[in-house]
Amino acid sequence: MSGGEKKKRSGGRGQGWEEAGAEFYQESYPAAIEADLQQALQRDPAHIATLLPSKKSRVATTKRVRNEPRTTLRRRTSTRSRGASTARRMSMNVHDAAVSMLPDLSENLSNEERTWEEIMQIKAMPVCMAQKMQLKNQLQSATKLRLQGFDQLKWQRRKAWQEFSSRIKETYSKIELWNHSLKKIGGNFGTGIVAYFLFIKWLMFLNITVFAVIFFFIVLPVIVLEPPESESCGTSDNYSIACCSEAYLNSTNVSNSVIELVQGGGLLEYTLLFYGVYTSQIYGLIGENVYYNLPLAYICVVTAVFLMSLIAIVRAAAKGFKERVVEGEGQFYQYCNIIFGGWDYCIQNEKSANIKHKALYNEIKAFLEAEKMEEERQNRTREEKIKLFLIRLFINLLVISILGCAGIFLFYVIEFSFGQVNLQTITRSQDLSYISLNNIIQMVYEFLPYICIVGLNMVLPFIFYYLVALENYSPLFVVRVTLIRTVFLRLASLAVLLTSFYTIVTVKVEEDECTSSSGRRPMCWETFVGQQFFKLYLTDFFIQFFVTFFINFPRSLLAHHTEHKILRFVGEQEFNLPKHVLDVVYSQTICWLGLFFTPLLPLMAIIGTFLMFYIKKFACLVNCTPASQVYRASRSNSLFMFILLLSYVLAIIPVSYIIAELQPSKSCGPFRGYDTVWSLMIETFMQFPNWLQSTLFFLGTAGFGIPAFVVLSLLLYYYYAVTVANKHMVTVLKNQLILEGHDKQFLLNRLSAFIKQQQDQAKYRQDQANELATFT
Amino acid sequence: MGAGKSQFTEDELQDYQDLTYFTKKEVLYAHQKFKALAPEKVGHNRNAKLPMSKVLQYPELRVNPFGDRICKVFSSSQDGDCTFEDFLDMMSVFSDAAPKAVKAEHAFRIFDFDGDDMLGIGDLRQVVDRLTAPQRLNETDMQQLLQYLLDEADLDDDGALSFAEFEHIIEKSSDFSKTFRIRL
Repeated sequence: MSGGEKKKRSGGRGQGWEEAGAEFYQESYPAAIEADLQQALQRDPAHIATLLPSKKSRVATTKRVRNEPRTTLRRRTSTRSRGASTARRMSMNVHDAAVSMLPDLSENLSNEERTWEEIMQIKAMPVCMAQKMQLKNQLQSATKLRLQGFDQLKWQRRKAWQEFSSRIKETYSKIELWNHSLKKIGGNFGTGIVAYFLFIKWLMFLNITVFAVIFFFIVLPVIVLEPPESESCGTSDNYSIACCSEAYLNSTNVSNSVIELVQGGGLLEYTLLFYGVYTSQIYGLIGENVYYNLPLAYICVVTAVFLMSLIAIVRAAAKGFKERVVEGEGQFYQYCNIIFGGWDYCIQNEKSANIKHKALYNEIKAFLEAEKMEEERQNRTREEKIKLFLIRLFINLLVISILGCAGIFLFYVIEFSFGQVNLQTITRSQDLSYISLNNIIQMVYEFLPYICIVGLNMVLPFIFYYLVALENYSPLFVVRVTLIRTVFLRLASLAVLLTSFYTIVTVKVEEDECTSSSGRRPMCWETFVGQQFFKLYLTDFFIQFFVTFFINFPRSLLAHHTEHKILRFVGEQEFNLPKHVLDVVYSQTICWLGLFFTPLLPLMAIIGTFLMFYIKKFACLVNCTPASQVYRASRSNSLFMFILLLSYVLAIIPVSYIIAELQPSKSCGPFRGYDTVWSLMIETFMQFPNWLQSTLFFLGTAGFGIPAFVVLSLLLYYYYAVTVANKHMVTVLKNQLILEGHDKQFLLNRLSAFIKQQQDQAKYRQDQANELATFT
Repeated sequence: MGAGKSQFTEDELQDYQDLTYFTKKEVLYAHQKFKALAPEKVGHNRNAKLPMSKVLQYPELRVNPFGDRICKVFSSSQDGDCTFEDFLDMMSVFSDAAPKAVKAEHAFRIFDFDGDDMLGIGDLRQVVDRLTAPQRLNETDMQQLLQYLLDEADLDDDGALSFAEFEHIIEKSSDFSKTFRIRL
């Protein structure tokens, strides 16, 4: 509140105040308030502070308005940056219907548009409905100018647009997926958990977009367009591309058992699900001029999809990041945050309310505890420090060795499994007519690595969870450390899987072979890899399903219906957010990894995330009790995005390596015959017009690169400097605010002392006069 | 719009739409919710005044530690009894569409137990007590907590939070706008 503004305001002059000499305050207050002031002073001179304009909410001002028609609600301008004229217009008396407008304001007649704008802003006023209605009626009945011509049109358009957008929003909220579920989850578990479910939903929409792009640009053309005639295998060269393709198509016999379908083999192998069937030919539409280059589309779409995902993640993450920066400016108000923003107003059942109370209590305690611990940490003795350091070192080494062992174990399991499968394929070819024990054993072998991966992912986090307790970290750090270790576990198992693929796939294929005869490289290794990811996704999904409904559900039943202590301990589960986040992120990572080899994997991911929502909802609402730890909605969202980004980066490395370096199979897929997938792009680039080529080449040269780099660095530095300056400004302003506060305090104290003195003097004089009167 | 069943005229609905953060349909939905609190009373008179105990039956308010304060703040008669219009105001402020400043305004009033337009030590103490109930922080912890709280937020060192200071904190707290809402 600047003093200037106060001075501008004309207020009634107080009667008994001239001698106090408090010109400043006097001017800003109309007479009626001074009565208020006197009253307040009578109670407690220090109370004067509450009457300062800056100390008031708009509500309070409004309350006062009821007594004093001429006070204005000018504070509004400071609280919100709305149009000044609007604010002034709003300042009319709310309470008294008879007073229509402030005299000085009725002069500038408003037009329809402004009136309408003001009506739209009434809703922000903290007064009850009856008053709002009065206000609206007043505004509507007041004389106003009709807009003419273009302005009228503009206003009408604005009005219509608002109407339309609110209609759209309404429809959207009605069809919005899972609204009801989210409300229910929020009611039971609070907004932190809702953020998790919104994250699942977000992932589903991401997958839908990805799938739509892939479908329209890769799958649909293949279905709709007429396949070009493929070259037939000539007799001259048995190892030409055409011959290899034919050999591939004839290699596996199409049996149709369910087991094969689950494995993504058999019939499915030759569907659009996998890389193998996409043709390397160019679809001709009409004559020669209009054509569809599928291989080019394939690589472009994959690149585009990865870019899209990146942009989506970064945008979502940036939103959270921005919030955190605003929060973190100076310092984070952790205590205020928990006291004023701690309660979740959407909680609606008794039990979770109790838990929330307990959680808040615990968190407040934990904050205070942390403060104490910080003090303690500073005067920790040297021996204790060394001991703690050794314990932490030991546990970290232990964790690393556990991760290493898990990796080696997986590697051998995978080797073993692939070996067995190859063996089985050879024996199977003799008796493929019936589903035998053999088939089932084969399936077990095929799925063995994935079962191991998922199994490890389930068991090891528990071990980590208990290990971290020994390390004596602060609670917040514990969550992060466990999370990061688990992330590494999950990604490490994927890395092992990829490595074992790598050993199979990178075999030099000679000119006169379809595939290397010495190695185990399949005829169409891309499809093979695609199948593996397909299997991994399925296994992961089914294990989620199985664990939720057949292990955790009975556990929770056990916990609900027994009083036995040990059984209860076994049965009770908390909704452990980091673990569930990882589950979802992990399957998304598989989707990204497999995308190139299995273009329809996003479709599976859509179904997967859709069902995952319900699985997790069941896990959350039925199986678990709310966690005793408070998950903050704002924090957790940026955490999700960070993990997703991490796994995205780790997924994109192998994929881009494959695209850029590995030789595609000769016998299948859109890139047969190329050295690498990327060489197609280079070839296409060579066909560009000359000027474009040279421009693009120029962009790659040092002549362009170095200046660009310099300019970018300068820009970066500029923004950095601006940030630093802003930060400095914030501290300066804050200090000024504090100083101002002190000044005010000082003046107020002086003022109240002065008034008191005056009062005493007056009283003294009165007494004297009285005495005099009685005397005479 | 279901004009047959509706207890409101189109004009009234338009008014409500203009004056709250709701659309017409949401207003009707809110009325259904309000009616569910006391079907016989509201069935007769759609704007019937329900006593605070009835309004507190609303699931979110029932378990809310500040339920009675919320009712009092929004009640037009200031005693906690709410008419439908008061209820609508309440839901409008708690809706997603309401801007942070509006929410902050009402939150300030909710937390201001003694109504002196400042959040003094007494107010803050009550807020904390209500949050942690049934447990209570012991006296030293409470003192410490209030001290930290004021250190963070009380810029002019007068031992109480004014609205401007409160708004300043709220502006920086991303949790507040996420938690201070009730889905209709």
